[in-house]
Amino acid sequence: MNTIDDAALVEALRQQMTKSVARQVAASGNLANVDTPNYKAVEPTFADTLKGQLAMKATKPNHINPASPAPGTVREIPDAVARRDGNTVELDRELLTMQRASGDFAQAQTALAAKFKLVRYAISESK
Amino acid sequence: MSTLSAASKAAASALAVERTRIEAAVSNLANAESTRSADGKPYRRRDVVLRAEPVESFQAALGRSTATGVKVAAVVEDQSEYRRRYEPSHPDADKDGFVSLPNVDAANEMVDMVGAARAYQANLAAIGIIRDMVAKALELGRG
Repeated sequence: MNTIDDAALVEALRQQMTKSVARQVAASGNLANVDTPNYKAVEPTFADTLKGQLAMKATKPNHINPASPAPGTVREIPDAVARRDGNTVELDRELLTMQRASGDFAQAQTALAAKFKLVRYAISESK
Repeated sequence: MSTLSAASKAAASALAVERTRIEAAVSNLANAESTRSADGKPYRRRDVVLRAEPVESFQAALGRSTATGVKVAAVVEDQSEYRRRYEPSHPDADKDGFVSLPNVDAANEMVDMVGAARAYQANLAAIGIIRDMVAKALELGRG
């Protein structure tokens, strides 16, 4: 039988929440600097995490999960168009990023809550 | 470690800064005709200079990424030319009958003020989104 074990599922959801928060933090920093001359808009990078996952693969259930949480690195948003004051923040893009991150976060939270509910159910019913 | 509290701190710093910008624009407008300031010369319009700054300087010093807030670097006086108006009866008129008036342009100040108000609004919306996320996260602990 091919099943996804609970720990992996919870870990994946946890990562989704961590990444949403990282996106949220970067976007709110950008939004705060919407009028700062020469400020360059940033976004979090998850490339290292992806590379880590491609390089190592857990082939046995007792392997340590290689999908470590996203490292806290940011980069300037590529191809962002600068205004005359050298600033690359776009108000609508940042607000959209925040809404999407918030949506992703809520999604993971709902799934995680459902998972925890099942665990609680299992505990209380076996009394 | 970047957290939601860092994000809300960044947004809050922007609220303070945008308020300062509105204050500057308002005092410029209020003094558009002030021919005597503290140094005896006509009022000069004030400009707010902004600077990006990490909200958690300790984390930033350790090389960890954190939210970038914003700060008022300085409030500078605009050194451009005074406006001049022919008004010989004015007590501050020079020998040719011209009065030097502050280098304030009302339209400019209004545009500045609208921009600052919009940025304030956007950051307020950001704080609302962050608050919703925190509330959502806390729901995990509920039975």
